[in-house]
Amino acid sequence: MAKYFFKRLISLIPKLLVISLIIFVGLKLLPGDPITRTISPDAYANMSPAQLEDLRESLGLNDPMPVQYLRWMGNMLQGDFGYSQVNGSSIAQMLAQRLPATLELAGLGLIVATIFGLALGFLAAVKQNSLFDYASSFVGMIGVSVPEFFLGMVAILIFAIQLKWLPPGGRMAPGKEAFLDRIEYLALPVMSVGISYTATLMRFTRSSMLDVLNKDYIKTARSKGLSEFTVNLKHGFRNALIPIMVIIVFRIPLLVSGTVVVESIFNYPGMGDMLLSAISGGDMPVVMMSTFIISAVILLVSFLSDMVTALLDPRVHFEG
Amino acid sequence: MKQDITLQAKSMEQDTILRVENLQTKFKVGRKMVHAVNDVSFELKKGKTLGIVGESGCGKSVSAHSIMQLLPKNGNITKGSVIYQGEQGQLKLHELKRNGKTMRNLRGKEISMIFQDPMSSLNPVYTVGKQMEENLIRHEKLTREERRERVITMLRELGIPDPERRYGEYPHQFSGGMKQRVMIGTAMICNPGILIADEPTTALDVTIQAQILELMKEMQKKHGTSMILITHNMGIVAEACDEVAVMYLGKVVEYGSLDQVFENPLHPYTKALMRSVPVMGMDRDKELETIPGATPDGSQVFTHCEFAGRCACAEERCWKQMPSVRTMEDGHRVRCLRYEEG
Repeated sequence: MAKYFFKRLISLIPKLLVISLIIFVGLKLLPGDPITRTISPDAYANMSPAQLEDLRESLGLNDPMPVQYLRWMGNMLQGDFGYSQVNGSSIAQMLAQRLPATLELAGLGLIVATIFGLALGFLAAVKQNSLFDYASSFVGMIGVSVPEFFLGMVAILIFAIQLKWLPPGGRMAPGKEAFLDRIEYLALPVMSVGISYTATLMRFTRSSMLDVLNKDYIKTARSKGLSEFTVNLKHGFRNALIPIMVIIVFRIPLLVSGTVVVESIFNYPGMGDMLLSAISGGDMPVVMMSTFIISAVILLVSFLSDMVTALLDPRVHFEG
Repeated sequence: MKQDITLQAKSMEQDTILRVENLQTKFKVGRKMVHAVNDVSFELKKGKTLGIVGESGCGKSVSAHSIMQLLPKNGNITKGSVIYQGEQGQLKLHELKRNGKTMRNLRGKEISMIFQDPMSSLNPVYTVGKQMEENLIRHEKLTREERRERVITMLRELGIPDPERRYGEYPHQFSGGMKQRVMIGTAMICNPGILIADEPTTALDVTIQAQILELMKEMQKKHGTSMILITHNMGIVAEACDEVAVMYLGKVVEYGSLDQVFENPLHPYTKALMRSVPVMGMDRDKELETIPGATPDGSQVFTHCEFAGRCACAEERCWKQMPSVRTMEDGHRVRCLRYEEG
């Protein structure tokens, strides 16, 4: 078990290397002189070619790509994440501010969506063909098919502008920084991020449960005189959970990319917001770093979920 | 002579642990009603084994599931009665709510069931010991150690080697025959009065079949359990049963003791069934007979004998009248017009 765990953990390293390489090469292949993104157009126009060449040399832009890549990686491993080309602030500091905000949004979205998705799907399966079942599959259909940004805008329109129940954006009010004070800011973004996730999980939980409830061991459980609740939960849901875990893992990258869009709609100061403004401002070090961190987080989460899935199913062997 | 028979009938009454009378079970499939069980009557006597035989789809399993109220949601008992003579008196099982407390108190404790496919009858995510224990947790007040002790004793009784280790293993670590042993043990662990075995050996290898059948007979003898054995295998009936009910299309067409049915089969269907299985010492080159035609669709409603279309002895009246059950002098019952004029 511990051996399996470590093997999987170590296998993350080559994956991260490949991702970093793809990000690096991809961004280097972008057209345009990177120097133009570092200095203002006026300064660029006033500099002689020799001066520009000196600047390139000093920034290391003339080195061969592998050298540049290794330097980037080396600095990153030493904790030096580089600086923004646009405003010169430390990327490490930017991440320290932005990453917790995104993790909070995505994490809460994940938790809320998982709880609601599993609970509603479970009920829909147990009460198959009831009014609740039909209603939830109708709502689920909408949840799956409507994109997050649209739901987010509708939510702002209704709850923030019309009803004035919740703030339309931001992360916290000045002086009120405790988690409980931030909940009103989180409510709408979490809802927008989580709704399609909830709907997917609900539909999947329902069908997985229905599948399991037809199994012979459910009949065996009933033949022992167990109550319907025990049969459904202990024998039904516990088995239905194994394939559901896979869907939860598969959907996590989509959840994170959902936060990028939702953050910009709600002016939520997270990684997504930072990434979008870095892309539009051509701030390559920031784009590289934040893309890499997002990928690393996704990789880590799916590794953890893999572990949970393996723990849920005793038929999985922890060997090799 | 006549007095003798009534006396005998009365004493039979007292030995009966389960009486099924004119049971009818219907399934709603789409808009159609399928009559899976039309008219099934039998008595199960204490400590005896009743075999229910018939081809696939004749309603054997549905009859068994009706007794336990374990039918799928679209199936319901629509007529007849199932009366269980428990230690606390008579219970009308057909009137109980399918997942009500009374029914659930009986299941696993007084009436147990084992199913056809041991491969899928055990929950893959719990250990075998834990699944066997569930019955004890539900029906008896025991400490953890007592339960473990009971399960391990049972595993040993089932002939499972190294029971202490097997207790903590998962179903996928067991072979098919071993799983069926576990199922038998789970069903027997609370010492039920009745064990219903729904084709317990069908999914198993032939060599294992005999072992499992032997084990069931052994357990039955030891615990004094009454057993309903559902099978399509005449050999198993001959091997293990005291009484036999032959079913065709939702009805019991012949019912009697093993000797009565095997030595002197009355119904043409029973006779045809007997001719379709190989017998020890029979002529090698002789081909086994088959019953012509196929089982009619369950949603079809008949006004004449259901078997007439496939019966070698069908006469004109068989296409006009519905036969009713006739009891012979020795208690042997048959549902066929040829025995009706008396």
